[in-house]
Amino acid sequence: MSYRHKHSGHGDYRTEENRNKGPRWSHCRKRDADGNVRRSRDESETNTSDRRGSNRPECFTTPESEGPVSRIRDWAEEVENDEMRTNVRRDIERYRRRILTGDFVPRERKTSSGSSDSRDSRDSPVPGDIETDETVLMRRQKQINYGKNTLAYDRYIKEVPKHLRKPGVHPRTPNKFKKYSRRSWDQQIKLWKVKLHAWDPPAEEGSDLQAVDLGEVMDFELDVECSVDPETEASSSKSSSSSLPEHSGTPHKMMKIDEAEMA
Amino acid sequence: MFCILNVCVCVCVCGAQTLNTMEDSSKEEYKIHSFDPETQKLLKTALKDPGLVDLETVCNIIVDQSLKDQVFSKEAGHMCYTIVQAEVKQNNSSVFRRHLLNRLQQEFKSREEMRKRSTQEWVCYVSFICNIFDYLKVNNMPMMALVHPVYDCLMRLAQPDALKNEEEVDCLVLQLHRIGDQLEKANAERMDELFFLLRDGFLLQHGLSSLTRLLLLEILEFRAGDWSLSEAAQKYYYSEVHD
Repeated sequence: MSYRHKHSGHGDYRTEENRNKGPRWSHCRKRDADGNVRRSRDESETNTSDRRGSNRPECFTTPESEGPVSRIRDWAEEVENDEMRTNVRRDIERYRRRILTGDFVPRERKTSSGSSDSRDSRDSPVPGDIETDETVLMRRQKQINYGKNTLAYDRYIKEVPKHLRKPGVHPRTPNKFKKYSRRSWDQQIKLWKVKLHAWDPPAEEGSDLQAVDLGEVMDFELDVECSVDPETEASSSKSSSSSLPEHSGTPHKMMKIDEAEMA
Repeated sequence: MFCILNVCVCVCVCGAQTLNTMEDSSKEEYKIHSFDPETQKLLKTALKDPGLVDLETVCNIIVDQSLKDQVFSKEAGHMCYTIVQAEVKQNNSSVFRRHLLNRLQQEFKSREEMRKRSTQEWVCYVSFICNIFDYLKVNNMPMMALVHPVYDCLMRLAQPDALKNEEEVDCLVLQLHRIGDQLEKANAERMDELFFLLRDGFLLQHGLSSLTRLLLLEILEFRAGDWSLSEAAQKYYYSEVHD
């Protein structure tokens, strides 16, 4: 476990780039990179193309050095990072408490199928098994925020109240506190985002563009999935003692997420 | 002399009281009255419903006014705080804060030119950034990104050439009265550095006005007493003011 964790530390920036690639995510952003709420989609489209050129927002560019003065980092970004870090610290304390208080619940109950309250099965790890590396948690939080900062997510949480969400059917935000390899995590994030796409606002003129995009994504996901398989297999076999709930009707892909989550 | 000191004391004392006790809305109203009707309307909307307005414009209005108006610069933090809170509540976003910090940083970079151009603008800037530091917190903690910049400003005010200018000294001691303890908690080392300058200025620098010497002595004593004045010291510095 520790080996995998260490291993996941370096490299793999490609997924980050892939995330930003293409218009599919920028298409439905609620806010621009500089934090402004987008006005309309047409407008935002032109904005993005501008940005590729010279009109990048100032906070994106490295400020000029000013001789001996060293206060040239981006204050706003620093504050936002601080905020996220303290939020993550607070969250981890809450998560620990929740696990500790739920610790005496018998194991069988957690895996009972048909329970609509997914919380039990999700929060089963022993307290020592939590991801506590702040860098990892912050990176994960950023990915989650990115997915949540979409019109699709807004629509999803509005249309499907929490108690009606079914595991395997509805997208569920990956649990950032669980120990996962970098690959497994990135994969979960990807699948989560793909599922969220189902709640994309009805497409207007650019509808065919969007359809094509989604197709590309699916192809891409499948490619990656093959290489990820051993990883997922390994982690799921580890937890084979707890019987997984059966979703006979669920497509293969959906099962994957569940297994990863249960691991 | 006592007239100036009087003003200073009033700002310190009244400032501290109003910060905690006065009603939010009435205070905002009072500050907004200095703007033209259209801007007033914009600011009022920003305070209640920040999602409806362009927060960059709002931010620039507040900063521009702060750089012109000394009174406003000392209290604008509260307005900013209200907008930030409203925005988090409404959209769970912090666009306004981002613009505010970007603008503050932009002005910070050219602060030396600003000081040369207009002492008043420079003093207003320092008041404003300190006020923001005082009011805007991140999960109940000061914004650490601002600690060094604020120190840089105060260190500048403590240089020999600035100590000759009562306007700058007055600004310096007011800021230390307000946020000295928070700053020291965030970085004690730099507070020591700052106070070495103030001590040396008080002891060694020739040609300081008597008001400046009095203000410096008071702030030295204020910090030595763990950011408060003993009753005796209070009497020493302020007894004549009340007559």
